[in-house]
Amino acid sequence: MQQQQLQEEMFKRRLPVVIFGLLIVSIFLLGRMVSFQFQYQWAPEVINYLEGLRNSGYSQTLRLAAARGTIYDRGMQALAVNTLEYRVGISPNLVANPRQVATQLAALLNLDELDTFEKLSSDEPYVLLASRVSAEIGHQVAELKKEIPGINIEPIARRSYPQGTLAAQVVGFVGGDLEGYYGVEGFYQEQLAGRARDELISNIPFDVPQDREEDHGGNIVLTIDRDMQFLAESELQTAITESGSRSGTIIIMNPGNGDILAMASYPSFDPNTYFEVDDASLLINPAISQQYEPGSIMKVLTIASALEKGTVSPQDTYVDQGSIEIGGRMIENWDRQAHGVVDMTQILVQSLNVGAATVSLRMGPSDFYSMFRAFGMARPTGIDLQGEASGTMYIPGDENWSESNLGTNSFGQGIAVTPLQMLTAISAIANDGLMMQPHVVRQIIDGDLVQTSQPSALGRPISAETADIVTNMMVAVVRDGLDGNASVPGYTIAGKTGTAEIPSPVGYEPGASIVSFVGFLPADDPQVSVLIKLDRPSGYWGSEVAAPVFRRLAERLVILLKIPPDDVRAALAAQGGSVSEIDR
Amino acid sequence: MAFSNWFEHTFKRRPWRTQRQAIALVTLSFFVAIIIGALYLAQAANVSTTGRQLEDLILQRNQLEQSNEQIRAEIARLQSVPRLRDRARELGFIDASVSTIEYLPVLGYNPQREERPAVLIQQPAADVPVYDETFLGWLQQQWDAFTNQQPDTSGE
Repeated sequence: MQQQQLQEEMFKRRLPVVIFGLLIVSIFLLGRMVSFQFQYQWAPEVINYLEGLRNSGYSQTLRLAAARGTIYDRGMQALAVNTLEYRVGISPNLVANPRQVATQLAALLNLDELDTFEKLSSDEPYVLLASRVSAEIGHQVAELKKEIPGINIEPIARRSYPQGTLAAQVVGFVGGDLEGYYGVEGFYQEQLAGRARDELISNIPFDVPQDREEDHGGNIVLTIDRDMQFLAESELQTAITESGSRSGTIIIMNPGNGDILAMASYPSFDPNTYFEVDDASLLINPAISQQYEPGSIMKVLTIASALEKGTVSPQDTYVDQGSIEIGGRMIENWDRQAHGVVDMTQILVQSLNVGAATVSLRMGPSDFYSMFRAFGMARPTGIDLQGEASGTMYIPGDENWSESNLGTNSFGQGIAVTPLQMLTAISAIANDGLMMQPHVVRQIIDGDLVQTSQPSALGRPISAETADIVTNMMVAVVRDGLDGNASVPGYTIAGKTGTAEIPSPVGYEPGASIVSFVGFLPADDPQVSVLIKLDRPSGYWGSEVAAPVFRRLAERLVILLKIPPDDVRAALAAQGGSVSEIDR
Repeated sequence: MAFSNWFEHTFKRRPWRTQRQAIALVTLSFFVAIIIGALYLAQAANVSTTGRQLEDLILQRNQLEQSNEQIRAEIARLQSVPRLRDRARELGFIDASVSTIEYLPVLGYNPQREERPAVLIQQPAADVPVYDETFLGWLQQQWDAFTNQQPDTSGE
């Protein structure tokens, strides 16, 4: 009894302590709960987390990817558009009659009926039947889904290239991750893709749904002319087949504003099936990324540089003895012949290596390389395409430079350029000495905002007078030096051929060459400049292989561009007109 | 005064009437609550139905947009150069060549001629009649017309 009284007393004494303790803890917890209501003390990520936790019950965040912009050629013909494909799967446990369903689906999806039946008889909760089916088939499957429960059809956004292989290396492609790779798709990824948008979607049925319209990326209009691109690609393919070349490139440019009208390389790929390409190098555009030794077309820049610097005049002559030694290296003409007294024009007409080397020696390394720099050698043009190479040119002071380089560089050996660099430099001659920035995008259209690319100059390596003199020399090359191989009746054309040896780790490959032709037309009012390059043709010389390709191409170009012959243009000019005003 | 006395008297004599009043008030409140609830439910159901219809329309619009994209792609494919070229050849067209094209300069036509826009001859502005009629003037006219009326005797 006394023990019980003692316990009761102890209990009575301890109870207030316990109550007080619990009260303190409760007050602390209550205070903590209240403190959650005042967000100022939390870091932003904690606030976001807590808000997310709060909202997760009655709403969800949906990420809306923007629809990718369309790519058009300069005539607004679509080159890249968005389409849908479907992924088709099925839940076998929901299929009542696997045999019949297998027959129907196999016929529709072009599958093996037995395999399909086995999939439909499995215990799996879900089996994939086809990972990519066209929109047309997808719609048929969607109709079938109304009769057969368990079919799962899921739309997949896809980039489609309706022109097939046309301009594939310029346009690039969009991968499975919806990112653009190479070409315009890669370079203008941000503008084309637009911005994904997060939107809060209410789960409460009484809430009126928001209009979840997708954002659209900007549309891009290229400077590429689809017809000219097709022409360049088909002529290139014909040339490669006929000449037995391994590969090749054709670029057509407007020298007046730097618009790239066509840029074709072969072999190429189909961007619709880029994932089937075995050789990844096919995805890269050789016109801007492949460096090569250009050969004799470089003589044009050598003579133009010497004329600009005043080292030589057009009438200056030298005695060609067939060879010259520079820096311990013997340089010979292509025919290993001496040509006697020749002037500057004849250096180009007869494509004399000794003449070009003599001129570069007279200039000296300082003037020579500063002029080549001014023509954009060893410097990327800055074209708006992914993967441009800068070329290679050793200059005095570099470990790899020797005096012999001064001689060999003058006729395009020992120096590496990209086809686009070469055409950009030659286009400066066609454009009164002003070298324009090449570009492939004409406009970016983002809703009501239209950004039009303005022509910009990379520099003026030579004066208009020098450009005029060199143009006349190039006209003489086509008229007198190529047996009419590059001539188009009725039109004056300026051009130069090139034949370059192919370097290897142990010297130059015997019997193998890269042939090229670069020119512009009409010579007195250039509308287009063209570069043709063929790798390892069975014929060796540019004048025999590349020049005829230019002629065929030029014959088609004057029709496409509506350029009348010289006499008609002269008559038009006499009346105050110009072909530049022809609407194209 | 007499009426209020009567009222108090009546209620004092009939205490059950106070209870009935309370019950009536509660019942009334209950019905009002039901009516408000029903109205709210009807409105919410209406909003919900409209929301679903809107969602269907959005879905329909998205499907139409996708369908348009597909059609655009198909048109572009049908207008591709190789296809047009093959079709033109099937129809008997051949490639033009430099020798088959004849340019016809229009003699005397100068595209850069000086443009002389036609000059508008200034015509003297016609006199606009001045409107100075007042309501009283109009009344006066009507009155004059009425008083000047002559009896029609032609039918006699």
